[in-house]
Amino acid sequence: MNIHLYLTDHLIIMRTRDIEKENLVKKIALETIANGGFESFSMNKLAKACSISVATLYIYYKDKDDLLSQLAVEHGKMMGKSMLHNFDPEASFEDGLRQQWKNRYRDLINNPVLGKFNEQLRASVYQDLFLSTLMEDALGKFKRFNDNIISRGEVKEMPFEVYWSVAFAPLYALIKFSNEGQSLAGKPFSLTDEMLWEAFDLVVKGLKK
Amino acid sequence: MENFNHILLFRTDIKSEEDRQALQPLLDENKCIEQWNVDLDDEDYVLRIVSYSLKHHQVIELVRNHGYMCYELT
Repeated sequence: MNIHLYLTDHLIIMRTRDIEKENLVKKIALETIANGGFESFSMNKLAKACSISVATLYIYYKDKDDLLSQLAVEHGKMMGKSMLHNFDPEASFEDGLRQQWKNRYRDLINNPVLGKFNEQLRASVYQDLFLSTLMEDALGKFKRFNDNIISRGEVKEMPFEVYWSVAFAPLYALIKFSNEGQSLAGKPFSLTDEMLWEAFDLVVKGLKK
Repeated sequence: MENFNHILLFRTDIKSEEDRQALQPLLDENKCIEQWNVDLDDEDYVLRIVSYSLKHHQVIELVRNHGYMCYELT
């Protein structure tokens, strides 16, 4: 038997795992969902977008639900890790909150697709899986920080939702404006560091006792 | 190098939970099948079978004899 023919034959039959390909699949899946949502997402279209066969996808993943669940978990882990970067639960209110702003700002301004993917996840059946993974490590530390700032008397006690809205909604609104390139009524907008920290100072002023 | 020759994949018309249930006894009882599932959520309705002994054509015959379309997914 011709050796070349033999090798070619075996290369076709032998399906192997390829990390680079797997990472490409995850990246394209995330982008596709960020931009088009979960409803129009299909394994067939994903395979085409990655220039791989549908069969290869089903080697890696049992089914579409398996792929999306794994994506939600990995994304949650990654976001959780990133949110905790340099964050010290024992820090003062202002320093601790500044670090949380820095971490979220860094993630979302450099990578608008992440923010859009988060929004899609929150509106999907994968929400619980995503949030529980995200909060696995982060929850304890954020809770400790929030308890600290109240017990030290830096911030008065209030419903969590009220605290969260004042502490973070301005950040997310500015990032959203900036990533969309426009603010209200289509006014062109690009967020600068000065604007970000100006908003931050107002938030701190508003929340501090 | 890890290989995946034991994962057999097919495009089918097993589109609903009822269809899946109709095939369940056949696939559950087959001793050569370690594990199987159908992706009812996706457009190719992929049947995924883990088997160290069955060949594609054997599964195709099995499923077709039960009245469902079944093609090897390449």
